[in-house]
Amino acid sequence: MEDKRENGGSPEQDKGPEREFRGLYKYVKISERSLNWIIIVLGAALVICFGIGYANRGYMVDFDARGGTVVESQKRMYGDLVTVPEEPVREGSVFEGWYTDENLTIPWDLSKDTVTGPMTLYAKWRDK
Amino acid sequence: MADNKATSKAQEFKALSKKDQQRKIGDLILNNAMYIIIAIAIIFITVKQPKFISLSSIVNIISLTAAKLPIALGIGGCIVLTGTDISAGRVVGLAACISASLLTTVFKVFPNMTSAMPIPVVLLIVLGVGAAVGFVNGFSVAKFKLHPFIVTLSTQLITYGIILMYLMNGVNNGQTLSGLTDSYRSLITGTLFTIGGVAIPRYVLYAVILTAVMWVIWNKTTFGKNMFAVGSNEEAANVSGVNVARTIILVFMLAGVMYGITGFFDGARIASANANTGLNYECDAIAACVIGGVSFVGGIGRISGIVVGVLLLQIIFAGLNFLSVDPNMLYIIKGLIILVACAIDMRKYLVRK
Repeated sequence: MEDKRENGGSPEQDKGPEREFRGLYKYVKISERSLNWIIIVLGAALVICFGIGYANRGYMVDFDARGGTVVESQKRMYGDLVTVPEEPVREGSVFEGWYTDENLTIPWDLSKDTVTGPMTLYAKWRDK
Repeated sequence: MADNKATSKAQEFKALSKKDQQRKIGDLILNNAMYIIIAIAIIFITVKQPKFISLSSIVNIISLTAAKLPIALGIGGCIVLTGTDISAGRVVGLAACISASLLTTVFKVFPNMTSAMPIPVVLLIVLGVGAAVGFVNGFSVAKFKLHPFIVTLSTQLITYGIILMYLMNGVNNGQTLSGLTDSYRSLITGTLFTIGGVAIPRYVLYAVILTAVMWVIWNKTTFGKNMFAVGSNEEAANVSGVNVARTIILVFMLAGVMYGITGFFDGARIASANANTGLNYECDAIAACVIGGVSFVGGIGRISGIVVGVLLLQIIFAGLNFLSVDPNMLYIIKGLIILVACAIDMRKYLVRK
């Protein structure tokens, strides 16, 4: 096993003293130079993705009117208030505000609560 | 390798040939590429959003770190054994659902219950459930010699199925569990103390205690030493009298217990639990371990490294959140961070022939 490895040593490692991987990585057939390139390329990709993500920044705030008239989604930044949306209308019901959960237990205060991520607000209705 | 570099003196460095000098600098930059990128990102975020280094933001990051720490401490052991555990997130979810269904004021899952169970009993139940899943993982890895990835993939799916069925129990019909008791919520999220008007939740203290316990287990017990021995060379450990199978099973069970604790915290922390609780937690935990120097090479890793890894990840993602970076892109960034960390990890184990 060891002999085979030495015979098959890659010719790319001719610069400076040769190095090899330790432990489990011993079985990885990759030259140091390729590994360096992998790190550099992946690092650059990481920075580029960060840039693209930053260029497309903003969180979508969706409104689920639950049978009422459609309310348009908004794109807000972290820490922004949600722009007061047009109140939805539903036949035979009275609108009672927006809630952050489907079970309508946590109300959303449009004048105070700020956006911290993508979210959906649900309308609460009371029968007339 | 890294330690040698840090201590090598300037004179020694000068005595090297030009090629060796370049190589040393290259090593230094490439082996620390992840930290360099993270440092630049933090500076950028701070410049764009000065609020990022405000007290409330820092406390928020520390709290998030504390919440994600136990699961990472558990997975760290599996990685030391050259394995992994992708069932972790779902076990957290199951533990959170069990906690939320028993420590509640609206008994939807068990309609016959009239009052919440005592908290210690529930804690024991979730620890037992975590340990049971860990036992299945560990037993299959140790006795059947299956790859941890495959074993934990199957337990991940099985656990998810159990969560979904559990949530269909009683009159709950798969809905989110909420309405948790005040005693449960205050035990976990109650105020430990306040700094400058910002409250630090109690689970930060629990995370610190867990970290200390894990440090003792890893460094001061025979079990910990056996774990590192099995991780670095299973056959050698076996020859020198270590019960390899028992060690592997115990490592996975310990990890399961940590997921149970994470789930117990998460139920109260998020104030609700549903089938998606804990989703993808294992990705964060594995990434944190690799960034923190727990190596896939096996038998190498430190508790302090895991803490730093979790902290760095939370800083980065809290920062990206402050910048409102496209949430879809976050997954790609997370994936790339894991890839870069693994490549760097491999590079650190380059040794002279």
